[in-house]
Amino acid sequence: MNNATALFSMPFTRVLAVALPALTLFFSTPLRAADAQEIVKTLCSACHGLDGNGTDGTKPKLAGMNRDYLLKQLIAFASGKRRSEIMSPMIATVAPDDFPGLADYFSSQKPLPGKVRNNSLAAKGKSLFEEGNTDSGVPACAGCHEADGSGSARIPRLAGQHQDYILKQLANYKNRKREGSRLMFTVSQRLTENEAKAVAEYLVGL
Amino acid sequence: MTRRLLGVLLATLGCSLALAASPQSGWNEAYAEKTEALGLRGDLVRGKGAFIVCRGCHRADALGREDGSYPRLAGQHATVLIKQLTDVRSGRRSNPKMLPFADHHEISVQGVADIAAYLQALPVPANQGQGPGKHLTRGRQIYEADCATCHGARGEGNAEKFYPRVSGQHYRYLLREARMIRDGMRHNANPDMIKAIRKYSNAKIAAVSDYMSRLAVDRP
Repeated sequence: MNNATALFSMPFTRVLAVALPALTLFFSTPLRAADAQEIVKTLCSACHGLDGNGTDGTKPKLAGMNRDYLLKQLIAFASGKRRSEIMSPMIATVAPDDFPGLADYFSSQKPLPGKVRNNSLAAKGKSLFEEGNTDSGVPACAGCHEADGSGSARIPRLAGQHQDYILKQLANYKNRKREGSRLMFTVSQRLTENEAKAVAEYLVGL
Repeated sequence: MTRRLLGVLLATLGCSLALAASPQSGWNEAYAEKTEALGLRGDLVRGKGAFIVCRGCHRADALGREDGSYPRLAGQHATVLIKQLTDVRSGRRSNPKMLPFADHHEISVQGVADIAAYLQALPVPANQGQGPGKHLTRGRQIYEADCATCHGARGEGNAEKFYPRVSGQHYRYLLREARMIRDGMRHNANPDMIKAIRKYSNAKIAAVSDYMSRLAVDRP
């Protein structure tokens, strides 16, 4: 007797007992995605935009970021490992079970290119991004963030990110308001103010 | 009989391993992290991943910079890489520029072994930074008289003895490090090496560095 005929010969209640959990499992993924969109609408979109591109330059662009990187940040905000006066209370209202759905949502949004305002500054930023500064020991950003700035599961996407947000994060690293990467603390210390501005100007157009 | 032969073989192997790892004077003492990393099996694929934090300076192909600001690591012996990396991490080789990127919070001990295995296997093209080429005959004489005994006739170094490969390396890096070793600024340097070049003039160091920078990596 194969499994299918075994199922038919079972009493109806027993069939249900087998089928219901299976059905729940089957539908849980799409339901979760719908939930994510609902959470984005009510909670995230005011700052990050429904398309994840950020509503102004101080709000980070999340569209196209690596899913695992986003998930890691959500968990870090929730645990207090990454601190933010804005994000911490927001995250506290979201169930950790919904984090993967949110990460999936934003990572699958299409990142829109930003606007370069100063081309010569951006050219200096390109050189720093690709070559670093061998005198001060600033490594090429591309070494970790990839040549196209797309990042990875461990390292954030920087391509297209808003200038103001990049500068704010570099300042946060430098002032130890953002911890969790001693490597970036070192980089933020070694960057001059002009270098930071230049690299931010390059990244927005990348 | 076979078992006894195997026993003898294993004992011999054990002895030679113990000799290789035996504590050597100051410059190459067997401290815990180094011994551990040398004993771990390095994985090339994991090494490639762990090397990501190094790429910003040493570049994606581990060929460093022609201006010598960062050395080539591709093709270097894994033992040498492990010694130098753990020496930097433990402060035996002072390198404040590099330390924040190579410290324990970025690279595990297994990561050190993996990176070393990965780098040793990388290809080494012959386009390294070279010197002015004006005193190559003198450079060769100096190399053959003082350097070849340890670093090898073709600059291939010696993995077992932790002597680095100098072939394929950038001229300006060789120049800078040789001067630092001469001047006692590289604290994990082999005393024999310091003795050999203690009285070298800058011109003599430049000539031999130029000669070394033209040695190609001729491994299979």
